[in-house]
Amino acid sequence: MAPYIGTATSRIDGIAKVTGAAKYAAEFNVPGLLHGSVVTSTIAKGRITRLDTSAAMRVKGVIDVLTHENRPPMADNDQAYKDDVAPPGSPFRPLYDDKIKFNLQPIALVVAETSEVARFAASLVTVEYEEVAHVTDIFAARDAAVPIKPPASPVGFTPPKARGQPNRALARAAVRHEGEYYVPIEHHNPMELYGATVIHESDGKLTVYDKTQGVQNVQRYLCGVFGMKPEGVRVLSPFVGGAFGSGLRPQFEAVLAVLAARALERSVRVVLTRPQMYALGYRPAMVQRIALGADADGTLDAIAHDAVTATSQFEEYFRQETGWSGLLYKCANAKYEHKLARLDLPTSCDMRAPSAPTALFALESAMDELAVALELDPLELRLRCYSERDQNHDRPFSSKALRECYRQGAEAFGWNKRNGAPRSMRDGSELVGWGMATGIWEALQMPITVRIALTANGSAEVACATSDIGTGTYTIMAQVAADMLGLPLENISIKLGDSTLPNSPVEGGSWIAASVSNGIATTVAAVRNELLELAKKVPNSPLANAAPDEVKLADGMIVDERDGSRSVSIADAMRHGGVERIEQEETTNPTADDSRARNTHSAVFAEVKIDEEIGVIRVTRVVSAIAGGRVLNTKTASSQILGSVVWGIGMALHEETLIDHKLGRVMNANIAEYHVPVNADVHDIKVIFVHEHDDSNPLGVKGLGEIGIIGVAPAIANAVYHATGKRVRDLPITLDKLHP
Amino acid sequence: MAIYLRPASLKAALSTLAQASGKGRSAHPLTVLAGGTDIYPTRAGKQAWLESFPRDFLDITQIPQLRGIRRDGRAILIGAATTWTDIVAARLPPAFDALKQAALQIGGLQIQNRGTLGGNIVNASPAADGVPPLLALDAEVDIASVRGERSVPLASFIRGNRQTGLARDELVVAIRLPGHRASSRSLFLKLGARSHLVISIVSVAMLLDQGADGTIADIRITVGAASAVPTRLAALEAELRGERLDASLIERVTPGLFSVLTPLDDVRASSHYRRAAARILVRRALANFMEPQVEEVAA
Amino acid sequence: MPYTLTVNGSERSLESRDPDQPLLYVLRNALGFTGPKFGCGLGQCGACTVIADGSPIRSCQLPISAAQGMKITTIEGLGTIEKPHPVQAAFIEEAAAQCGYCTNGMVMTSAALLAQNPKPSVEEVKQALAGNLCRCGTHDRVLRAVMRASGRQKT
Repeated sequence: MAPYIGTATSRIDGIAKVTGAAKYAAEFNVPGLLHGSVVTSTIAKGRITRLDTSAAMRVKGVIDVLTHENRPPMADNDQAYKDDVAPPGSPFRPLYDDKIKFNLQPIALVVAETSEVARFAASLVTVEYEEVAHVTDIFAARDAAVPIKPPASPVGFTPPKARGQPNRALARAAVRHEGEYYVPIEHHNPMELYGATVIHESDGKLTVYDKTQGVQNVQRYLCGVFGMKPEGVRVLSPFVGGAFGSGLRPQFEAVLAVLAARALERSVRVVLTRPQMYALGYRPAMVQRIALGADADGTLDAIAHDAVTATSQFEEYFRQETGWSGLLYKCANAKYEHKLARLDLPTSCDMRAPSAPTALFALESAMDELAVALELDPLELRLRCYSERDQNHDRPFSSKALRECYRQGAEAFGWNKRNGAPRSMRDGSELVGWGMATGIWEALQMPITVRIALTANGSAEVACATSDIGTGTYTIMAQVAADMLGLPLENISIKLGDSTLPNSPVEGGSWIAASVSNGIATTVAAVRNELLELAKKVPNSPLANAAPDEVKLADGMIVDERDGSRSVSIADAMRHGGVERIEQEETTNPTADDSRARNTHSAVFAEVKIDEEIGVIRVTRVVSAIAGGRVLNTKTASSQILGSVVWGIGMALHEETLIDHKLGRVMNANIAEYHVPVNADVHDIKVIFVHEHDDSNPLGVKGLGEIGIIGVAPAIANAVYHATGKRVRDLPITLDKLHP
Repeated sequence: MAIYLRPASLKAALSTLAQASGKGRSAHPLTVLAGGTDIYPTRAGKQAWLESFPRDFLDITQIPQLRGIRRDGRAILIGAATTWTDIVAARLPPAFDALKQAALQIGGLQIQNRGTLGGNIVNASPAADGVPPLLALDAEVDIASVRGERSVPLASFIRGNRQTGLARDELVVAIRLPGHRASSRSLFLKLGARSHLVISIVSVAMLLDQGADGTIADIRITVGAASAVPTRLAALEAELRGERLDASLIERVTPGLFSVLTPLDDVRASSHYRRAAARILVRRALANFMEPQVEEVAA
Repeated sequence: MPYTLTVNGSERSLESRDPDQPLLYVLRNALGFTGPKFGCGLGQCGACTVIADGSPIRSCQLPISAAQGMKITTIEGLGTIEKPHPVQAAFIEEAAAQCGYCTNGMVMTSAALLAQNPKPSVEEVKQALAGNLCRCGTHDRVLRAVMRASGRQKT
């Protein structure tokens, strides 16, 4: 039987998704289901002085209107609202009191017999406020921004320690570049609206279908907020219509739906509106200053990276915004500073490769500017600055095939035909620009538990409480299990997205593929050992003397690896052992080895064609060469990278959450005016996976969910410079920014 | 409970409107609804910010005579409830090419299948893509009420951003396009921040009729999204009329001829950019008419 | 008020006290057809696309009153798990469904396109799908799937 790992296997959930059979959180219907419509604040900061729900209550079909004044009890301490991935601070509490902390904050829930009635009645709720001056502009809050100081937690996200003598190195550098770069607030905008269906079971227990990247995180959080016992709440999320980080933390739709279900002892669904999705987290706006100093031969000698990022007034969200700079390139002297600007907005949060696309927009734009100053090809500059070690922590990489990414990417793109002079390449009336950038991300693995139940007929159920947010988790789990159990793919069924299943971390950070595939490997080993014990009981067993690590499972058999003719079928082993079903559950902890850095890398090459008179930019070609360890499924992995490149195009040219700072309100809180690329904006994208062997985990998997977006926006911005001679340092590069 | 009326005849619709907008006891403002492609998104948006929104509708899509395209003497009449897809599929003279090109850029296919020409003009968005081609065609608006019928030029019907000259008891019945010479050609160019599903930053419709001697017998140029209402560039038209259609004309499209535009500075673009882009699109449209066979112009 | 619709070939009756209720909510809540997706309710994303009398439309913009008497096809009525429509089969093969939430709109619009124009060009497919947003970035995959379903390959 040919292996499934590494092949272009079609999604096992594909048929459910293309026929409408796949059910998402707001699609579980039960008799008597009530519908909640959320009323949200129209001011950014202050206090509710009067909340009149009487008109809404009079609408026929309205059951109740819940507010901070009449809601049932909720926890009164921050700890209860802390979820698994909460940043430091005091988490937001939906419908808790009269305080308004951001615009679009939920302030009431209208519960009615139909969604239309709930929606209409919600518009009849009237609110009076006492307003307080607010700040929503990062540039206004910049001067008051506060440095992140170690030992702030979470550990690992504080800027790395400075090394060498960066100030002196910058002062003596033969060539220097210094620039300020800006990336605006961006929103995830998954296609599926946040929604939760809470089913009030006859025994009073709650079954919660929620849109989330972590069912167990939501379950623990709900237990904390409502003081419920874990066995009383089950959270499910079998399919997720995109999340991109917005579903890592529990969101308020689940709290409100559970609140109503408990208050009314009825089943309740709450679905947010598209504008209300802008009350969830966002990629923080980021203002960065980068200073680079180089020798005349194009080797970096100094990096200084200062960043200011946005967070709310009540929590401190940040990631490793500055540290990427000193990690990516060889440079003896480096220093970092990271400050937080507090705004009257919801707390910022993880969004596809948190911190890296924004940080590397600055770094990789600056490197391109340095190459111009050095009169050096931008790819050649990267090669001269190639780092064989993680200098932030002075350790080697577990593997790093970035050099090969540069080589294969450049070759596929035709980089050697580039004329380095800006404005030197044309196609008819259009200017042509070629730009490139590097990407880097972490290769993480988290503790995870996997249960496998194997039946004598050779079918297996693999269970873990992880999520599939569209990445292909169902499919890679089935591939890995099929190969390791030696069974056909169609004999494997996958259970995930259910808080009652064995423990899993939230799905994010690109760590699920590595975690769950190696988790399956561990549990399969336990299954194999049990099967071997059974096989030894078969009369005249050919495996009587085999040790567990000498056998494998293949083609429905337990096979001696040293002599393939010595084997016992799974069916025989189980029949002789008198068992119909064996079940194993194992927890896999990644090795706690800090002696090596684990990262994925990419080289991104982009071509733009620009209609200069009107500033229209088309990204006509992108080549993304990825070094991400072992690729479990070339089809789903390519999809991850293709999709990431589209995100990068959006980040470069379109995406920006626009805030009316006077009102403290998002102006483009919908997907007509928050622009993402449409079909006709997406052209030729080529994905290359370079070979990279990594022994950090048995399967050699690094994870590919995020690396694809990193480096795309700067590659495009650098191509725009090459085409036009104009350097745009603030994203997105809209049409008028290229206009004279 | 919301009111939803769906009369099958124009007469019934007009008398309903008359009652609804009168002062009597049955008076109750009704929103006229056809494809719903503007009204439904608008009300969903209003809901989000707790603003009141229309719930009582007069649906005119069951009235047969409001949908379809027919001739009335030399004029062509397009029923108010005619969809963009109907327009794209119809056999129409080249003077209507701009209107068809605009139709194909309105929303996506699903919007084009439901959205109507009448809705686009009554909605009176400064960036309505259907309006510039119609203004270039000297469109008139046929209006009916129980008080009678009237016809007004589209240019005066749209009075401002989201403002029209329609009385509350009146219904737009059709768009009337007076006769055009078979030799008239037209073109629509749209500039947006992405390829589709985008509100125009600026749009241009141009209709041109070239005489046998190669001179411009007639030219009409309309710019959308660059003023409170889409605007004809009369001075530029006068400048070009009677001239030979050749490359030297491009240089005559000077910035001063665009002073009639009053573009906004907003999140989509600066007024400076809009004005400049309008001029570039007009020059491109003009250049396009100089190339005999080329149909498409990138914008 | 009672309403009668034809959905996927069968007549369906329902009660609604909201004559202006969008067809999307009727399909998803009252009738249990959750294939059409609720991506915005603002007519912006195309995820709610159904085929009404042969044409793809956005069901979030079609009032139930106006849908009376129309023949509505949802993705549940296009093909089955056992016998998927060629567009559905091609979407699986080309990995065009990622999170799967825009997939309904992409599939339904493509199926309607191919019914009218069995051999579209790449540009025609892009034009037809102009009204469908995707956030996973499956654009290239979707294009390939539609070309595959038409018997052509994307070059």
